[in-house]
Amino acid sequence: MTSMIEEKLLTRNLEVENLYKIEIYQKYDGYKALKKALLQMTPEQILEEVKKANLRGRGGAGFPAGLKWSFVPKDTHKPKYLCVNADEGEPGTFKDRFIMTNNPHLLIEGIIITCYCVGIHTAFIYIRGEYEHVAQRLETAIKEAYKKNYLGDNILKTNFSLNLYIHRGAGAYICGEETALLESLEGKRGHPRLKPPFPASVGLYKCPTVINNVETISNIPIIVLKGGEWFVKKGLPNDGGTRLFSVSGSVKNPGVYELPTGTNLKDIIFNYAGGMKEGRTLKAVIPGGLSAPILREDEIDIPMDCESLMKVNSMLGSSAIIVIDDRTPIIDVLRVIVNFYAHESCGQCTPCRNGTWWMKNIVHRICNGYGKISDIDNLLRIANNICGKTLCPMGDAASMAVRGVLEKFRQEIEDYIKKR
Amino acid sequence: MIKITINGKNYKVKEGLTILEASKQVGIEIPHFCYHPALESEGSCRMCLVEIKGVPKLQLACSTPIKDGMEIETENERVIEARKAVLEFLLAGHPLDCPICDKAGECKLQDYYYKFGLFEDRFEEEKPKRDKLFRIAPNLIYDQERCILCTRCVRFLREITKTGELGVLNRGKESLISIYEQELIENNYSGNLADICPVGAITDIDFRFKIRTWFLERKKSICPICSRGCNINIHFLSPSFPFKVEKRVFRITPEPNVKINGYWICNLGRYNYHYIDNDRILHPLKRNGELKQISWEEFYEDIGNKIKILIRRKKEEKIGVIVNLSLTNEEYETLEIFFNKCIPGTEIITFGKKSGKEDNFLLTEDRNANRKGAGKYRFKEKKIDILKFLNKKELVIFFGHEITEHCNIQLLSEALKDIKTKVLIASNKGPLINLVDYILPSTVIAEKEGSFTNSQGITQKFYRVLEPLGESRPEIEILTSLAQKSGIWRNFLMTRRAG
Repeated sequence: MTSMIEEKLLTRNLEVENLYKIEIYQKYDGYKALKKALLQMTPEQILEEVKKANLRGRGGAGFPAGLKWSFVPKDTHKPKYLCVNADEGEPGTFKDRFIMTNNPHLLIEGIIITCYCVGIHTAFIYIRGEYEHVAQRLETAIKEAYKKNYLGDNILKTNFSLNLYIHRGAGAYICGEETALLESLEGKRGHPRLKPPFPASVGLYKCPTVINNVETISNIPIIVLKGGEWFVKKGLPNDGGTRLFSVSGSVKNPGVYELPTGTNLKDIIFNYAGGMKEGRTLKAVIPGGLSAPILREDEIDIPMDCESLMKVNSMLGSSAIIVIDDRTPIIDVLRVIVNFYAHESCGQCTPCRNGTWWMKNIVHRICNGYGKISDIDNLLRIANNICGKTLCPMGDAASMAVRGVLEKFRQEIEDYIKKR
Repeated sequence: MIKITINGKNYKVKEGLTILEASKQVGIEIPHFCYHPALESEGSCRMCLVEIKGVPKLQLACSTPIKDGMEIETENERVIEARKAVLEFLLAGHPLDCPICDKAGECKLQDYYYKFGLFEDRFEEEKPKRDKLFRIAPNLIYDQERCILCTRCVRFLREITKTGELGVLNRGKESLISIYEQELIENNYSGNLADICPVGAITDIDFRFKIRTWFLERKKSICPICSRGCNINIHFLSPSFPFKVEKRVFRITPEPNVKINGYWICNLGRYNYHYIDNDRILHPLKRNGELKQISWEEFYEDIGNKIKILIRRKKEEKIGVIVNLSLTNEEYETLEIFFNKCIPGTEIITFGKKSGKEDNFLLTEDRNANRKGAGKYRFKEKKIDILKFLNKKELVIFFGHEITEHCNIQLLSEALKDIKTKVLIASNKGPLINLVDYILPSTVIAEKEGSFTNSQGITQKFYRVLEPLGESRPEIEILTSLAQKSGIWRNFLMTRRAG
């Protein structure tokens, strides 16, 4: 396997200068899919193609996008909304920023087609507060799109209208959780809601709402252009298309890599990302953002898709690969993990609020040299007590991440405690 | 009705309930902190997790609706373990200052720990120190350390009073409930926050550090402060309390009644209980130059004779009775028999307490507990010239001090000078004390049995909560005894039996 044969979907034409400008984007087949969708296809046909494409959500949960859209009630008198989740908060992930900065019109085109397909006339991009320059670039791109009548009233002289707004978050990890995102968008505190009801029926302002990740939506134009069957061949039969892998850590060439779903993890690190930095050896890999349980160096010969990673008790998540080398003490990794979750727990439900805080206290005590061997079992017990009992998936994420490190590197932590 | 199975037993319950509500109906208690029947489910405490057959994760009992054929486990090992885990998390961040906490004894955290917890303490870290004396309302203190963030208080102010004074600040373990800057909660229902707080985070300044809850008993009664007739619980000192304390009643809390007051009472009703123990008239008194204690018998003889003579002289119109609007239906009936039926010609007027402001929720304009009930026996407040009414009377009997709210006390005093015999029957001291010759202690509502008809027309029975203070007696008893000595006894008995 070499990089030569990989076909780019999302990152096509990326070498083109100023691709973020609408004229350049159009020159390279930009908004062609929109024209095809609006002028030649019915919403049902588009939905059919997306379903055929087996496009799974790229945000972390991996829920099939076509299925999600089909849950939106058709015979409702309420307005429907699209919220694009650009609150890219999962540590290690930077793929959405990559799309939005380099090719904002791809996202916008995807949004318009999605809205046309589901019958939505108002869409929001909820972007994390830290992405200020990205938000600015999107604002400019949206203005351009309005000028060309890709947004606004009677798009391409059809009777389909759409308004698109950008909403900047205030920097809370929890607002990447879809219902907390909705609360935040409504101007409230970003606390996850109880599910059911699911956003598809009761979402933003209690109206039916579709929430998709930036990368998911950005795949829509190519699916419309080339068809679902073509798309699914670019990945796996039940998980179509390519994925953007954000590779960071101790590799020679960290960055975003677009590769087919199911590409081998070892291959990504040692082939595409150029292998380990000079003089370092691989110790561990976090394969899908901080929430995905860590893999040992001997476990990484594995295809990067939802099912394969589930088999080794990890997950594909946001496909952010964090590469850890032999010079990094695993206790530091653990400390970063517990700090992050204790800091980002929204505080709404008991197990996550108090559990993450308790774990942080224990790990800090260990780092300060007052650890005991029994702390490891206590940490595992606390993590188990959080798992499956919280209101939103963040509790599970915290629990799995901590458990992963403790289970895979127990010996190293024990040695660390004894040494101090 | 649909069929469900809880812990292996089959039940038929109404459709549309949540698991928690359905379980409660069939007598199975599912522990919870954040759920409150009057508030929207929040699902944040995670205490009510139960197992549903076929569902891999434990589910919230407070927000999951029951479905036909659902099989629920509320007591199996997995559920109990989950409860323990939640309790352990809550206690890890809790100061465990029960010995100085006013909620101790009625705290859900305590109760559930005794029921499901009893685990060893594995929390070795330092407990966070926070503000324990954070004032959120003139009558409430918020203890940041004890708070378990169930947000019942926040939701109460958003959903019930719709005033929204409280919110959550910060994130994660740093989260706390707070007012906006210095803006205290100033609504008439703030007292309920101390009741709905499942732990000792919000405490009532009126109750703080006064008594341990296990020295209190509680009995149901009706609030007499306005015409709503809210159902209340009177918390009074248990007879087993080893020390002598002058005060009997320590607090009033709402008793749920969906038709009348829901789960709430207003602050006016909550904090207006000191009259039960303070400023009471304790013994029958007679003015003979100065006030002297007399026996009830002496009073019955004196006044009974006066009535007897007036009847014999056919001077019934010389008897004036001033009735208030806070007596029980049964007392109004007795008054009606006594004066209207047995001594026709007696002149009766009615005065209630002056109206106050209503608050568009529970508190009504009418501050009299039983105007509707009085009206049924034709005791109705009318505009009347009081001085003209008192003119040439020989015997007047006042029930309560209410009349003084409707006339100039100086003029009243002048008018009363010419009247030979003036009787006051009242539970508490008041402005009439100095103007009458006989002062008789009556019982307060908490010491009475009877019924009130509220402004909605609902008649509610209530029972004696406390023993009468001193020698006080209920008005119904006073009237009956007086009837025996007034020469109308046969008539009185027969009318009452016929009625």
